[in-house]
Amino acid sequence: MRTLEASKSKQELKTEGFTVKSTMKNSVVVGPPPAGAFRERPAKPTVFRKFYERGDFPIALEHDTKGNKIAWKVEIEKLDYHHYLPLFFDGLCETTHPYEFFARQGVHDMLEHGGAKILPVLPQLIVPIKNALNTRNRQVICTTLKVLQHLVVSADMIGDALVPYYRQILPILNIFKNMNINSGDGIDYSQQKRENIGDLIQETLEVFERYGGENAFINIKYMVPTYESCMLN
Amino acid sequence: MASLEQCESSYQPKSMSRAKQWTDEVEDLYRFQQAGYRDEQEYRRVKQVMLIERWPETGYVKKLQRRDNTFYYYNRKRECEDKEVHKVKVYAY
Repeated sequence: MRTLEASKSKQELKTEGFTVKSTMKNSVVVGPPPAGAFRERPAKPTVFRKFYERGDFPIALEHDTKGNKIAWKVEIEKLDYHHYLPLFFDGLCETTHPYEFFARQGVHDMLEHGGAKILPVLPQLIVPIKNALNTRNRQVICTTLKVLQHLVVSADMIGDALVPYYRQILPILNIFKNMNINSGDGIDYSQQKRENIGDLIQETLEVFERYGGENAFINIKYMVPTYESCMLN
Repeated sequence: MASLEQCESSYQPKSMSRAKQWTDEVEDLYRFQQAGYRDEQEYRRVKQVMLIERWPETGYVKKLQRRDNTFYYYNRKRECEDKEVHKVKVYAY
């Protein structure tokens, strides 16, 4: 009985800071709750999904054994980029098959064959890119970073044209820039598959700097203070 | 009639072997075979096209129309990975 009482009096009372409770003798102040900067924020149902299910995209939906290509019903050169490219970018938020595959591959094909048609659509792509990064889902961020790298090199002047939008895109990159595993001399297999977010972000920022013209570095530095130039040194 | 048969048979390949190593030709064959054709010759015959779009930098096939009239688009860089080289069939006529 005595031991029980003794343990009771010793029992610590957990409480938040700056409360009356916290002045009590046996109370222990717990730290603040996590802010949730890294917590995933699931995306709302995308417009891409709606269009896909309605069959509005000019792509053949049946799958063959290859599974890594889209069969386009219309020549990509004849597509209305102002309409379709933002829609495909909207699908980057998706994490489930088949939406994820068709969005990723569709974006890839359209960027690869878009040429001069991409630049005028660029302002419309920023919001979908920002939404995708904002989901903070590791897989989605990976895909979006690779898409960003492809976007910058897809045509002339895109790197320059992207500089004014760094404010929308780079904050998330700044948050995740240090997401690198320090595995000592162990092997981090995600590196081989190019799925290590920290490395991908570093790569992406370097591509931005290389293709973004003379103002790129200072603007990146403003949003990602730990970034160091890959060209000045 | 005989001449037609002869004509048909001349399109048929005499032999087939598997690619052992990656080369530019194997890369092209890989692209045609993904789209469902044996090679460039068959593609030209089926689709009745003269010009096949190729990437200016590398010369690889850029776009092919499949038999169901949908289009396949290919990258400017190498697509046929080492692990897929042995799946490529090289036909001889």
